[in-house]
Parts: sequence; C-alpha cells; structure tokens
Amino acid sequence: MKAVLHVIEHDFRNFFRYKWWLAGLISMNLADLFIMAVVYNQMVSPDIAEQIISYFSFFAPGVTIIGLFASAYMIGREINMEVRRQIHHYMLSLPITRLELAIGRLLAGGLRGMVYMSPLLLTTFLFLGFPSLPQLLVILGALFLLATGISGLSIATAVSTTSLEKFVTARGMVYYVLFFCSSIFYPLSLIQDLGRDGVMPQFVVMLAEFNPLSSGADLIRSFLLGTPEFTFNMIRNLVVFSTIFATTATFAYMKIIQRK
Amino acid sequence: MFLQFKFLIILRAIWFAAQIAFFGLIASRMVVPALADIYFEYYVAGVVIMMLYSTSVFIGYDIFEEAEHGVFEYLLSLPVSRRELVLGRSIGGGIRSFIFVGPLIAIALFVIGLENPLNFLIAFLALFLFAFGVSGMSITIAVGLKSSDHFDILMGVLNAFIIRLSTTMYPQTFVQDASQAYAVLTNFNPVTFASDLFRWGVGIEKYLTMTPMPLAAIIGLVIFFFTFTFIGVTIYERRLEGGGWQ
Repeated sequence: MKAVLHVIEHDFRNFFRYKWWLAGLISMNLADLFIMAVVYNQMVSPDIAEQIISYFSFFAPGVTIIGLFASAYMIGREINMEVRRQIHHYMLSLPITRLELAIGRLLAGGLRGMVYMSPLLLTTFLFLGFPSLPQLLVILGALFLLATGISGLSIATAVSTTSLEKFVTARGMVYYVLFFCSSIFYPLSLIQDLGRDGVMPQFVVMLAEFNPLSSGADLIRSFLLGTPEFTFNMIRNLVVFSTIFATTATFAYMKIIQRK
Repeated sequence: MFLQFKFLIILRAIWFAAQIAFFGLIASRMVVPALADIYFEYYVAGVVIMMLYSTSVFIGYDIFEEAEHGVFEYLLSLPVSRRELVLGRSIGGGIRSFIFVGPLIAIALFVIGLENPLNFLIAFLALFLFAFGVSGMSITIAVGLKSSDHFDILMGVLNAFIIRLSTTMYPQTFVQDASQAYAVLTNFNPVTFASDLFRWGVGIEKYLTMTPMPLAAIIGLVIFFFTFTFIGVTIYERRLEGGGWQ
C-alpha cells in the first residue's frame, strides 16, 4: 500500500508541473459554461427547456464531466512518453512490484481527474444548489469510478500506441466519440428521438445510453435538478466501464513495462 | 511542411465529422422553432470557419519548430528581405489552410447547397484575407513568446474565447439576448465577419450580423488582415535581429 502511495505522489508532482496547462484547460471549460451555455439558454426550445430547466443548469454537470475526462486522460500522455523514452526501466528498478506500480498509476490518473474536476463541481453546486450529504457521497464515488475508468482507458491507449502522434489521434477519436455521443451537451431523449426517426443509427443510440459520460452527467443532474430520474443503471454503467478499463490497463501496463 | 501534421489533420477531420454528424444534427432539434429549420446548415457553415481558423493557426507551431531545429539561420541566409519572409509565411499559412479546408468546404456545400455561385466566389476569395490574417496573428503571438508550451496554452485559451464570442455557433440576436457585453465583443470579432461572409456566400442570409453585406464583413476582414500582417512583420523583423528567437 505504501508503494502505491509513493507512485501516486510521484504522479501528482508531475501533474502540478502542468499548472499553466491546467489553468488554460479550466479557462476553456469556464468559457464553455459562461459563454456558450449562457447563449444556448436563449436558443433552447420551450419543449426542451421543460425537460432540462435551463441549458446552463443542464450543461454545468456536463462541463464537470468534460474536465474530469480531460484531466484523468492526461496520465496516458505521460505513460506513452515514458514507454517511448524507456523511462519505465527506471520504474522497474524501484523496490515496487509491477502490480503496485500499475495500480498506483491507475489510481493517480483517477485522483488527478478528481482534483482537477473539484472546482468545476463546486461551480456546479454554487449555481445549481448543494446536494445532501448521502447524495454528495454517491456523486463523488461515482465520479471516482468514472475517473479511474478513464485513467484505465487512457493507459490502455497509451501502451498500445507507438508514437505521441498516434496517441494524440487515438485520444481525439475517443474524446469526440464519447463527448458527442453522450448526454453531456444535449439530453439523451434527443438522441433516442433521432434513433426512432431513423436519422441516427441504433448502435449510436445504444452507445449514448451506455456511455459512462452520460451516466456521470445524468447522475449529477438527477440529484441537483431532479431530471432525469436517478436509476441504478447509471451506477451499473460506471462500475462496468471502470472494471473493464481498470483491469485492462493494469495488465496491459504490467505487460508493456516487462517487454524487452 | 503542413503535411507533417498529418495526424493533426486526421484529428481535425474526425472533429469536423463529429461536429456535424452529432452536435449539428442533435442541436438542431434542441433550438427554438424559428431557428430549427436552418440551424443544421447554419452550424455546418460555422464549423467550416472554426476549422479554417484552427488550421491557419498551425503556422505559429512551425515558428517554434524552426527555432528549435535551427531553420531560422537558414531562412535568414536566403536572398529574401525580412518583410518578404513574414508576408510569405503569413500568406503561405493561409493558403495551406485552404488546401486542408477545401474538401471540407466541398462537403459543407454538398450539405447546405449553393444558391448564388457569384456570391460564393466573392465570399471564398474574401475568406483568404481571414486565413492570412489569422496566420499573421499566430505568427505575431508565436514570435512574442519564448516557450512553445505557453504558445500552445495561449492559443487554446484564445481559441476558446474567440470562437465562443463569435457567430460560428449561434446567431448574434441570441448573443444579444444573453449578454450585451458578449454581443459587443461578438460584433468586432473577425471570426464573426468570416462566418457571416461564408453564410452569405452559400445563401443562409437569415440571422446575418453585419450590414450591408458583403461590404461590411469584407471591410472588417481587410482591417484584420492589415493589422496583424503589419504588426506581425514589425515584431518578426525585430525578433529576428540579433537572434531574438533563441
């Protein structure tokens, strides 16, 4: 356990080296919220406004998830660089087992996401109201599961790509598919309507429904806005996503650092 | 040199597809009925301008690459004046972004349709000024900073604000309803001039910001182009002397 904490500490120190980058990222997230969402407030049709209260309220949990995703995914960039520059040889020389190393990296990625996301979540609470203590614990637990899953996804992508460019391209694809095919920017019911009308293929609708980013954003909305209604499917989706990618990333990372 | 960014180009193309196939399509179902009929086409035109802006910015990254790899010394040894060098880079940056955005413009025309080819031709030519101006702006910022990381961050933040405070994603009338301050900034944004011009060129004339069109938008772009080209030339010239890029 102590070794895992050392690895987490190492990754946190690295994380705060990017303070300017983080400041840039947070200002982009806030621009989305305080400019784009405020203008969309005026544009949303009355029917949709009935479902989502206001676009600003709807989007605030979405932007929290965007921030969580972007920061938890950063661990992959570092691991990709370490593998390319063979820095993992140094890691292997440390008195830490490979499993501890892999778990430490995975948890560090998730916790970094949580730390970065906190001011965005706090902003959401300030504008939408604070949840009750049990609700807050559920939100934090669910977001930690999501952050760990994203960290796992990022590590799995990092160890399967041979160059930074390929990693960045793969990351972009994952970003765009998961962001746009989710309920971050628009209610899930709109994607389902397009599916029913035959405009959107059914697999895209299913992807949006099972997308962990949809589950994360909708879970916060269910507690703060009361819409959509909270269901255990949200937690189930996050547990499944987190388990799959945490396990895959742990074994993939252990395997790649042992490769000659 | 531009083709070195092939992965970045692939990434932007995926972004373009995701923007129109998901966001454009779904958001058009979310907006008020008065806008819903044209919002998809309106948004596709906006995405083209966002893309033109972001690819024109690439030239700034080249400046850092060249400083890092010692290409500046080679460029300075060429029988070309400093002024010609910057002007050439600014125009080159704009033209190459058009090479990339060209196929995307074709896709946008396929989606939106084309009512008046002459209007489109005028808009298309005027958009070159926008691309040159953005390249000039990117060069100006790049030569003013020592670190490529700082440049990357600043361009990201600038991109976030310049795009969101423009009419690429939403008509000016809704920006006005949201905030008077945002509306003022949107009115003086070159990305708004370019978006309006492109929409006017393809026949989406409802919700245009500037009047009279296309003159107002073209004047705006001319001012933008000259401002950044000449500021860029002056700063670039000064920085080149005495190895200021090192």
